[in-house]
Amino acid sequence: MKAFISGGAKNGKTTLGQDLAVYLAAGGTHYYVATMISADAEDDERIRRHIADRAGLGFETIECPRHILSCLDTADRNGVFLLDSVTALLQNEIFPPGKNYAPDLPAAERCMRELLKFVRSVRSAVLVSDYIFSDAGEYDPMTERYRRALAGIDRMLARECDTVVELAAGRRIVHKGVLPF
Amino acid sequence: MVFIFGGAYQGKTDFARQAFSLAEGDIFSCSGTEIDFSRRCVDNIENFTLACTHAGIDPVEYFRAHRGEWEKCILICRDMFCGVVPMGAETRAWRQDTGRLTQYLSREAERVSRIFCGLEQRLK
Repeated sequence: MKAFISGGAKNGKTTLGQDLAVYLAAGGTHYYVATMISADAEDDERIRRHIADRAGLGFETIECPRHILSCLDTADRNGVFLLDSVTALLQNEIFPPGKNYAPDLPAAERCMRELLKFVRSVRSAVLVSDYIFSDAGEYDPMTERYRRALAGIDRMLARECDTVVELAAGRRIVHKGVLPF
Repeated sequence: MVFIFGGAYQGKTDFARQAFSLAEGDIFSCSGTEIDFSRRCVDNIENFTLACTHAGIDPVEYFRAHRGEWEKCILICRDMFCGVVPMGAETRAWRQDTGRLTQYLSREAERVSRIFCGLEQRLK
């Protein structure tokens, strides 16, 4: 099963993703594909909170902030992959921290191609993204390019996945397929 | 009338093209204060409301005045209502005018569809 989860911030997307990955693994291997690169103490705290949240759930953590296909070098493709999050992955690709965040716009296309290949290469995946598209904000052109690229990836993943869920106020809106619980 | 709305880049126009077998010539993309309702589909209504805000025109009154012309149309507008209140007075006015119009169009529509990541959520 492939599932795509999105919605606004702080709606329980990661929690649902974790629960779904554990359920799909049914005692087998499940990976938490961690995408965040810490930039400061605030990020450190968020990462610490995420690690605490999934403690005891049996995840093997793969650090994969860029180049998503690289996480298949060592992982078992028959495992369940929780990618949290598409948003951070794309951000690291377009604004690479190792290169002083200098925008790399062609990386968006590559990221999309690699994600498509990734989703098609594994047996089960849960992909978490962020819905950042319904405001009247006026963004600089670079941020706008990032938003457009993320939306393109989201639409591709929604097409590829069996189940698409939006979380709103912690409630589930199932746009496609079904949730097993 | 069918009213389609959704966030930026969610695939609203693609959805309309596919769901209603629209050709490019069927779609009018708004850019000013006038709308060509002879087309089957009117897209980017948020551009129309922005032009109205600049020109001091009430977009809801405009739609009321042209009611007979769009009753069979597919109307598409961007959802821009979930963020914080914009800092700029003009953006606030635009958001407000667009919001009043989308509520009016939702009331008048036979069908209302929200597009999320390319998928339709039928609201009416």
